[in-house]
Amino acid sequence: MDDPRRAHGVPAIALRDVGCAYATGGAVTQALASVSLEVPRGGTVAFVGPSGCGKSTLLKLISGLLPASAGAIAVDGRPVTGPLANVGMAFQNPVLLPWRSVLDNVLLPLEILRENGDPRTPPSDRWRDRAVALLATVGLVGAERRQPRELSGGMRQRVSLCRALIHEPALLLLDEPFAALDAFTREEMWELYQRLRAEREFTGILVTHDLREAIFLADTIYVLASHPGRIAHTHRVALPRPRTLAQVYGAEGSELMRLMREQIRPARESAA
Amino acid sequence: MSPRARRVVLPLAVFAGLVLAWEGAVALLRVQPIVLPSPSSVALTMARTAWPIGFHAWHTLVTTLLGFVAAVGLGLLLGFAIGGSATVNDAVYPLLVGFNSIPKAAVVPLLVMWFGIGTVPAVLTAFLLAFFPVAVNVAVGLATLETELRDVLRSLGASRWQIFRKVGVPRTMPLFFASLKVAVSSAFVGSVIAETVASNAGIGYLMAVAASDFNTRLAFGGLVVLAAMGVLLYGIFAAIERRVTAWAYAE
Repeated sequence: MDDPRRAHGVPAIALRDVGCAYATGGAVTQALASVSLEVPRGGTVAFVGPSGCGKSTLLKLISGLLPASAGAIAVDGRPVTGPLANVGMAFQNPVLLPWRSVLDNVLLPLEILRENGDPRTPPSDRWRDRAVALLATVGLVGAERRQPRELSGGMRQRVSLCRALIHEPALLLLDEPFAALDAFTREEMWELYQRLRAEREFTGILVTHDLREAIFLADTIYVLASHPGRIAHTHRVALPRPRTLAQVYGAEGSELMRLMREQIRPARESAA
Repeated sequence: MSPRARRVVLPLAVFAGLVLAWEGAVALLRVQPIVLPSPSSVALTMARTAWPIGFHAWHTLVTTLLGFVAAVGLGLLLGFAIGGSATVNDAVYPLLVGFNSIPKAAVVPLLVMWFGIGTVPAVLTAFLLAFFPVAVNVAVGLATLETELRDVLRSLGASRWQIFRKVGVPRTMPLFFASLKVAVSSAFVGSVIAETVASNAGIGYLMAVAASDFNTRLAFGGLVVLAAMGVLLYGIFAAIERRVTAWAYAE
């Protein structure tokens, strides 16, 4: 069986004129209108924009958790019709299961895959090693037996990332994953993400309010405007990889940041 | 004194003080035993009638537990249905709240009409009082599942049934076990109410008979047994709760 992920020329994610509307109390709200974009395999894109511009909705559309009301979404060249199974997700709230150890939290996706007879399930005698190795990658050596409540916010977020990656998903969807962390921990997490990206193959989509985070992590940044949510501006981040904090805080990063700020401000004012 | 010992010793000391004050007041004020017997005479009566009291206490315990077990079963089912489905919630929850606001003592005469005097109305009253807290707590536990967690699981291809099993049920357990101690107390109240009105066994029946004989001592004896049983039942389920769902408390 040939793996469609290996197919050349097919973008990992393709959106064409995608819209999303929902009815609330008789009125139809247009959350997103005619969004078109392509994400190449292994790339990372970021969505930034004012609150309520449909960033999170876009994530749910791509993962198939929400149906699009217009346009077409394809992942690996296949149209998305329902929830995809090859996705890892992480949110601002790490939502670990407090009754499970760190190890068992990380292994949860594999349990689901095995129950569903997914061919990607590794043999169960390799689960533990795989989880321990992944936890070590994110700097959590020897934490397997610990309980989530014993961990700091940054550690929980690392566990949450491991849970999102343990099944080696083709897509990693991150919805403000580092927003609740302090500035230093957040920067550590950026570097961690960069390291993970160098070691594994996944296509990343990041929703964030933090423009520096977007600059550090993304190849392409989409600035969204609201009412209805749509792509207002697109920026390719030209900084070479691996990126450093110095680059992001340096002249080039700061210039891009200033520009994006200017672009988001009018959208915020019109929303208010 | 350690804080733990303090929590045991202090209430016991207050209890002992109250009993002593009661004993002293009855003797000093020469209160008629038929109005208020002294604690020592109650204890004496209890010792003399230990065998019948034991029989009736056992009967009440069995009645309570039968009603309780049935209530836990139905409460779990209802709670899962209400918490798992918005449609069931909208359709059933208002009715459940309405039903719960009926004073259950008012239902006992009907139960007696249908099932006669005896154990069945008492078991049913216990059941009617006890299932509501279980159903509500389980429903709340399921309905408050974080959307992020649901999304994480759905994006792995998890079915609703898998989400329910892997996350819904375990995360509901602390609330479920918390509801058990409330439910067992409610079941106890229910069985004693029904026994008082319509039974020929049980502590409630014993107290009703004692009252009609103006045997105040025995009535107080029954009260003491009820208090002890109530505390014991609550304590057992509180201890089980702590043990089973330690993860929800340690912070």
